[in-house]
Amino acid sequence: MQPAAVYTRDRCVTGIHGLDEILRGGIPYGSTVLASGTCGSGKTTLAMEFLVRGALAGEACAHFTATEPSVKLLENIRQFEFFDMNMVDTGLINVFDMDVLYSWLGLEKSSFDLDDVHALIKAIVDIVNTIGVTRLVIDSVTTLCYKIKSEQLIRDFLFTLGKKLSTLGCTTILISEITSATENAHWSSFGVEEAIADGIIVMGDVERMGHLLRFLQVVKMRGTSHSRAKHAIELTPIGVMLTPMLKWGAQGDKQSKWGA
Amino acid sequence: MNKQYTFKKEDEEFFGGVGSFGVPKFDLEMHGGVPRGFTMVSFTDTGSGSELFGKQFTSPAEESENTLYVSTNEGQQEIARVFNKYGWPLDISVRTIGEEYNKEVLEKELLASRYRLEGFRLEDIQRLAQTRFVDETHQDYLTEVTNEIMSLGPYFRVVIDNLDFFLQREDNTKVVAMVRMLQAHAQMMRGLLLINISNDGLNPTIKQELSSIADMVLSFKVRTIGTDFETSMIVSKFRNAPENLKILVFRVTPAEGITPETVERIS
Amino acid sequence: MFELDQRIAEQLTEVALNSSVQVRCGNSNAFMVTASTMVPLMQMFEMGGVYISGSRSAMEMIEAFETIGIDVSNIQFVDLVSSGVLGGTDSTRKNIHFVDSPIMLESILLRALYLLRTTTLERNFVILDSVNALAIYNDDRMLAEYLHTFINTFRQREVLSVILNVPDQTPPLVLSNLDLYCTDLIDRGQVVIH
Repeated sequence: MQPAAVYTRDRCVTGIHGLDEILRGGIPYGSTVLASGTCGSGKTTLAMEFLVRGALAGEACAHFTATEPSVKLLENIRQFEFFDMNMVDTGLINVFDMDVLYSWLGLEKSSFDLDDVHALIKAIVDIVNTIGVTRLVIDSVTTLCYKIKSEQLIRDFLFTLGKKLSTLGCTTILISEITSATENAHWSSFGVEEAIADGIIVMGDVERMGHLLRFLQVVKMRGTSHSRAKHAIELTPIGVMLTPMLKWGAQGDKQSKWGA
Repeated sequence: MNKQYTFKKEDEEFFGGVGSFGVPKFDLEMHGGVPRGFTMVSFTDTGSGSELFGKQFTSPAEESENTLYVSTNEGQQEIARVFNKYGWPLDISVRTIGEEYNKEVLEKELLASRYRLEGFRLEDIQRLAQTRFVDETHQDYLTEVTNEIMSLGPYFRVVIDNLDFFLQREDNTKVVAMVRMLQAHAQMMRGLLLINISNDGLNPTIKQELSSIADMVLSFKVRTIGTDFETSMIVSKFRNAPENLKILVFRVTPAEGITPETVERIS
Repeated sequence: MFELDQRIAEQLTEVALNSSVQVRCGNSNAFMVTASTMVPLMQMFEMGGVYISGSRSAMEMIEAFETIGIDVSNIQFVDLVSSGVLGGTDSTRKNIHFVDSPIMLESILLRALYLLRTTTLERNFVILDSVNALAIYNDDRMLAEYLHTFINTFRQREVLSVILNVPDQTPPLVLSNLDLYCTDLIDRGQVVIH
């Protein structure tokens, strides 16, 4: 008897050293993935590499930056060997300043209402649809959602955006800023993002005798089996590199079982 | 006074102690004109002719490069047409804040609604992806106008028509502070400054404050008499010359612009 | 004149690229054994690679090699010592790469992997100098786990791993695990009786 064929979803191969192994081939196409992390944990670099690897494969990519001006982002990212400014010049990587987008849409205000949220979704979806974006990064969804005062509206925003982008076959990374990446912490700033996202990648630091070691952990990824182990990461000039974190060193000092 | 300006003798002779209103009959009524260094605030009713009076006030233009007409409602062409009509000098500086505002702010708002309704086109997206900084469209017109007037030299002549634009958009205390600064500058430079403000919706405290800063307070009124309109100017404050306080009924003639009525009415 | 131990070179002819060699040395002959291992790998087998410098600073090691006439300019050094010394990282040498501390074991591994990815040579080694240096900072079980990962990572990538250690100063758990994981042993150390 023939074994039943196992259906596997097509993958968006991130191209990031080690991450595709963890995800057993990549992120399922059209997923909305929340990359949550503490400051300095490498979220922006990871997301930018995700786009660059896509651009190298000829995919159209878009990056919406709300946390730092695009000029600064591009300047910081230029030091990585995997990045080529030509990708921006030729339109393979399209970097959008959220401030500029807000200004163009008349959204220069401290809080967004339902109409504003819909206008923003429409604008992002328009961009994705018009230039055929298959990889999208919003850095960060936390900064963006600060302007949306109600939890319900944040939920609607993320759900509608995710649904529309998924329909367009766009794999999205939403960067979320969190203050702690420990086991008991939330994986998102507002608590609603994590429920809506198809996948959650947590990034943070493990303190080991006064030194901070960056880690990455895939907590959830719909549509694929994946490793849920903590992985140490290193931001190198050739991109993000991962290796499984030592089991005896995967926890911070306080939870350490050393010498137990 | 912290600062003193030394005036040239020939300038003092040329400009004299008073400047013309641009309306000879008003000059007569005010015993020669308006003393140099005066700041005039006029509270106006709609349709009372204050805009025309403001333009006419710039018409003596002793030095055209030192004469500035700031309009918050009219455009350059409209103003030029009026100046042309009455044969007033066209070489003075005219700043049309309303026009600038419409161009810079309203056009942007219109574009924003287009983006929101119709979405982005490919060329919009390409431009958006290349735009790294937000256009600083929120211009501080108040500071800009203040600086422009403060940069004018001795014996300047300035009309601001009208202050409502600033009062509606800026913190009112900031606007009052600006007027105070301009009054000091006019006094020091022996300039003439006329500021029009609408009576409609004006906060009484602000009105009181502006009146106390001004050297001369005018009110432009309009009322109906039978089937006619009667326009009048009330001089309710004239620093150090209370004899000038009066009510002057005026009309607009094609030849002279605003001119006081010579016929005494029997009420 | 500095004399290399030729028997080490002979022993190294037996190893393959996916081998992991445990090199035991004593306190007094550590540098001689290290040099005797490096030189044949570089000169006889035309290998390049990464030297993880945990016992002494990379600069000190490079100078020591240069003193005995060995050019190590195409070897990449991962220095675990200098970041712990104020001003220790003031180096203009392009082949020295600093890791904050020997406690950052995963970073050391990733840094070595990164450097190996940038090399153009076909045959490479990674020399870990030494287990004893890492043992000062790291828990025995973590170190044993690390060496297991370390050896298997490079074995999988066909990179020869050479692990230096002074056996009588190596924790027994680590030592016994090393014996288990390594494919070859070059023993120039003291006899250890536990």
